Amino acid sequence: MPSPIDLADVPFLREALVEVLLLGVAGGLLSAWIVLRRLAFFTHAVGSATFPGLVVADASGVSPLLAGVAVALGYAGGVERAGRAGREPSEATALLLVAALAGGVVLASDVFESGAAVDRLLFGTLLGLGPGDLALSAAIVALAAAASLTLGRAWSAIAFDPDGAPALGLPAARADFLLLALVAVAAVAAIPAVGAILVAAIYVLPGAAARLVTRTIPALLACAVVLGLAEGVLGLYAAYWLDLPPGPPVAVLGALTYAVLALGTR
Amino acid sequence: MNAPAVVTDALSAGYGGRPVLTDVSFAAAPGQTVCVLGPNGGGKTTLFRALIGELEPLAGSVTLSGRPAYVAQTERTRLDFPVSAFDVALMGALVRGRWWLPPRRSDRVAARAALERVGLGAEADTAFGELSGGQRQRALLARALVQDSPVLLLDEPLAGVDPASAQQIDAVFAELRAEGRTLLVSSHDVEGARGFDLVLCLNRRQVAFGPPGAALDRATIEATYGRELIVLDEAGAGRAVTVQHHDHGHSES
Repeated sequence: MPSPIDLADVPFLREALVEVLLLGVAGGLLSAWIVLRRLAFFTHAVGSATFPGLVVADASGVSPLLAGVAVALGYAGGVERAGRAGREPSEATALLLVAALAGGVVLASDVFESGAAVDRLLFGTLLGLGPGDLALSAAIVALAAAASLTLGRAWSAIAFDPDGAPALGLPAARADFLLLALVAVAAVAAIPAVGAILVAAIYVLPGAAARLVTRTIPALLACAVVLGLAEGVLGLYAAYWLDLPPGPPVAVLGALTYAVLALGTR
Repeated sequence: MNAPAVVTDALSAGYGGRPVLTDVSFAAAPGQTVCVLGPNGGGKTTLFRALIGELEPLAGSVTLSGRPAYVAQTERTRLDFPVSAFDVALMGALVRGRWWLPPRRSDRVAARAALERVGLGAEADTAFGELSGGQRQRALLARALVQDSPVLLLDEPLAGVDPASAQQIDAVFAELRAEGRTLLVSSHDVEGARGFDLVLCLNRRQVAFGPPGAALDRATIEATYGRELIVLDEAGAGRAVTVQHHDHGHSES
C-alpha cells in the first residue's frame, strides 16, 4: 500500500490531486443544483455525448477541449429546445445519449482506429493532466461559485415550483439554459480526469448523497462540496494504489457514500 | 366601476400551437372574486398559465393591472425540496427583481408577516415537505402575499385541504378582497362558487361568465361538466354536486 504522502510528493500525482480538489469543489456546488433541478440524467448524458467529438478531436489534432465544449453546448441547446417544444426531456436525452455513444464507438474503432485513447476518453487518466486541464477546472470552480451566489435564489425558486416561476418574474428559460450550459462545460472539464462516461461521479453523486442528509440549500451546497472533495481525494489515492484510472474509484466511492446515507436515513 | 384588473378578449391558449381553451372573454374589477369552474382538462390551469404569461395567447388578448401572483396546485410542488416555510414565503420577494442579490431585510420582514397572516408563524422553520397539505397550501399563499400583487390566481387552493386550513385561507381571501385585490380561484365546487362575485365556466371554451345567480343555471352546469355531473334536483333548482375526479397522476393541460 503506497504512502498517502505520495499524493503531494510525486509530481504527476500532485497535479492529479489539484485536479480532483478543484473538481470536488466545482462538482459539489454544481451537483447540488443538478439534483435540485432534476438534471442528473442530463448531466450523465452530456458527458457521454461529447465522446464522438473527443474521438474526432483526438484523431485529427483539434483541441479536445474545444471539440468537447462545442458538442456539449450543442447537446444542451438541443435538450433545451426539445424541452420547450413540450417533448419529454428524458426521452430526448436518452436518444441523443445512445446515438452519441454508438457514433463514438464506430468512429473510434472503424474510422480512426483510436485504440488506447478510447479508454482514456471514457474513463480518464492519472497521467498527462496538463496546466490547461487544471486551468479549465479552476475556471469552472470560479463560475460555479459565482453562479451559486448570483443565480442561487432564482434557481431554487424555479426548481421548487417551475409552474409558478414565470409569475415571480424570473427569467426561467434563461436561468435554465445557463445551468445546462454551465453543466455542459463543467462536464468537459472533468473528462480528462474521470472520463466521458463517469462525469456523473463528479457532478451528480455528491449532491445526491448530500440531499439525503441536509434540510436547507446552503447546507446542501456545503455538504456536497465536502463529499466531493473527500470522494475525489480518496478515489485518487485508491486509483494510485490499485493502478486504475481515477474515474472508477471516485464513482464507486460516490455510489457507496450514497448507499450508506440512503440506508442510514431510511 | 373601476378600471378592470383582469380582462381577456377572445383569448385562445394552448400548447405547441394547438388551442386547448378558446374564446375566453371576461373582466374582473379590483376587489372582485372570480370562481373558475370546469372539469379536469377543461382549461382552468391553461387560463392561469396564459394570465401569468407562461403561454402566449394563440389568439385574442390578456390585459392585467399588474403581474399576478400564482399559486399552483400543491400536488405539483416538490415535497422533498430542502426549503422551510419561511424560505417559500421569501421566494415571493423575487418578484421585486434583484434576484441576483441576497434578500433584503424588508423582504424577510414581509415573509415573516405573510406567514403570520396565514397562521404559520410558528412553522416558519419547518421543512416544507413536513407541513400538512393545508399548511403547504398556506405557505404557498404566503409566498403570493409577499408578492403583493393586485391580482392573485389560485389553482384549486382548497383541494385536499383540512377544514381548519380552508377556514384560514377563506379568511385571507376575504381580507385580500377588502384590500381591493382581484382573486381568480379555480374550483370543482359548484356550490362554493355561489359565494364568489363572479363565476367563469370553462369546458375547453367559455361556457358562461357572470354573477353566480345568473350564470349558474342547470344548462350551464351541464355544458360545463357534461357527464361528470350528478344533479341533486331535490335540493332546489340549480343545486348541483360534481363528481370528484382525483386521479392526480395526470396534469391538466
